[in-house]
Amino acid sequence: MIGWLRHQKHALTAALRRLRSQALTTLLTALAMGVAISLPSGLYLLLGNLSGLAGDLPAQPEISVFLDSSVSTAQKQAIAARLKQSDIAQVRFVPKDEALAALSTAQDLSDISAGLTENPLPDAWVVRPHATSREEMARVAADLGKMPGVAETHLDSQWAERLQAALAIGRTGVWLLAGLFAIALVAISGNAIRAQVLARRDEILVSRLIGATDRYIRRPFLYVGALQGLLGGLAAGGVLAIAGGILRAPVERLAGLYGSTFHLLPPAPLEIVAVLGLTGLFGWLGAWFSVSRTLRQVEATR
Amino acid sequence: MISFSQVTKRYPGGHEALNTVNLTIEQGELVFLIGHSGAGKSTLLKLIAAIERPTSGVVSVNGQNVGRLSHRAVPYLRRNIGLVFQDHKLLFDRNVIENVLLPLDIAGTDRREALKRARAVIDKVGLLKREKANPVSLSGGEQQRLCIARALVSRPALLLADEPTGNLDAGYAADIMAMFRDFHQVGTTLVIATHDDRAISALGGRTLRLDHGKVAEVSA
Repeated sequence: MIGWLRHQKHALTAALRRLRSQALTTLLTALAMGVAISLPSGLYLLLGNLSGLAGDLPAQPEISVFLDSSVSTAQKQAIAARLKQSDIAQVRFVPKDEALAALSTAQDLSDISAGLTENPLPDAWVVRPHATSREEMARVAADLGKMPGVAETHLDSQWAERLQAALAIGRTGVWLLAGLFAIALVAISGNAIRAQVLARRDEILVSRLIGATDRYIRRPFLYVGALQGLLGGLAAGGVLAIAGGILRAPVERLAGLYGSTFHLLPPAPLEIVAVLGLTGLFGWLGAWFSVSRTLRQVEATR
Repeated sequence: MISFSQVTKRYPGGHEALNTVNLTIEQGELVFLIGHSGAGKSTLLKLIAAIERPTSGVVSVNGQNVGRLSHRAVPYLRRNIGLVFQDHKLLFDRNVIENVLLPLDIAGTDRREALKRARAVIDKVGLLKREKANPVSLSGGEQQRLCIARALVSRPALLLADEPTGNLDAGYAADIMAMFRDFHQVGTTLVIATHDDRAISALGGRTLRLDHGKVAEVSA
C-alpha cells in the first residue's frame, strides 16, 4: 500500500514535471481542449439561464373560456353544468368587473382602464382539466369552444409549453454536443500523449530493461492525460468567464428594456466540479488508449 | 544459478545465433564469454535477462524457466539482474544521480533510502563529485562507470555486462575490470562478454568461447 502510494506520488510529480517542461505545448493543448469543452458547457449555461427565465411562467396549464357579451342566462347555466363534468378538475369564474379591477391594479395599465367609459371585458371561466396532456387540453378547449355563448377559448400555457419543448430539444442538443466534444477531448489527449510516448522512447526502453512494469511506464502518462484534461476544463472555465463578462452588460440592458431585472446566472459550484471531473476523466481515457497502443509500437521497433 | 539446456536461438530471417548450447554457471562465479563478433555472446546474455526468448531448449535462472516467463513476470526477473551495456543506455534528460535512482524508483524504494544507496554506489564508481552533472558531459569511461553504478544500485545477485570495455582505452578498461573484480569478491555472480584478452588474463575466472553458436570451455 505504501509502495503503491509512493509510485502514485512519483508518477504525479513526474507528470507535473513533464507538463512544465513543455509549457507551450501544454498550454496549446489545454486551449484546444478548453475551446472544445466551452461549446457544450456554454450552451448548457445558456439553457439554464433560459429555463430560469421560463420558470416564472404559469406551470399549471389552464384554459380561459371567454363568454359572449350577449350570452343568455340559460346558456350560462349550460356552460356551468358542462364545467361540472368529470374531465374538469377545477374552475374559477372571473366576472368582467373583477377582471377590470385586476387590470386596473396591474402596473402601467391603470391609465388605460381609467379612461374607459364602459367595461369592454367579457365574463370568463378559468378552467383546469384533469388531464394536462397537450391533446386532452386541446380537446377540452375545442369542446368548450363549441358551446353556445362561448366567444373564445384560450390555452394559457401554450407558448410556455412551446418554450419548454424547445428547451428540451436544446438540452438533448447539449448532451449530443457534449458527447461529441468528449470524443474530441479523448482524441486531443490521445494525440498529445502519443507524441510524448514517442519522445520518451529511450526512457521507456531503458526502464523496461531495468525491470519497469507496464503499469510503472504507463502511470505518468495517465497522470499527464488527466492533468491535461483538467487544465482544459479550467481553460474552458476561462473562456466562458470571458464570454460571460462580455455578454453581461448587453444582456442586462436588454432585460432592462423589458422591465426585467434578469441577471446572467453563473454555473453552480457542483457543475464546475462535475465539468472538471469529466474533463480529467476523458483526458485520462485518451491517454490510456494512446499509451497502450503506442507502447506496443515502441516495443515492436526495439 | 544459470543453466542452459539444449538452447537454440534462431532470429527471424534464419540467422542461428546459438546452436544447442548446454552450460551451467554457479552462484558467485566470474565468467567471461569470448569469441568474434556475431558469435552469439550478446544473444546468450539477452536470453538470461529475458530480452530474447530461446527458439528451443530451456534457459533457467534461479530455477525459473526464463523462456516461459509471462510478460508480467519479466520485470521482476530483471530487477534481480544488473545490466551493463556497451552503449551505456544512459538517459541524457537527467543528471548522474537521477540516472542511478531510476531502478530504485521503479522498484518503489523509499526516497531517502534510495538517495543514500545511490550516493554510496556513485561514490564506489568514483563519480560522487559529478552527481549533478549531465551524463553528456562525462567521458566514455565515466559514462560506463555510471552505467555500472545504475546496474548495481539495486544490489542484484547477478551482473551481466556486454562488452563493458569495448569503447574504452586501456587505462579506463583496467579501472572497470578492477571494479568487476571487487564485486566478484563480495559474492556477485558476473557474466561478462568481451573480446578484451588483457582483461581476462588480469582477472582470472572461467572463460567460455563461443564460435558460430557453439560453446566451448577454455581451460585457464
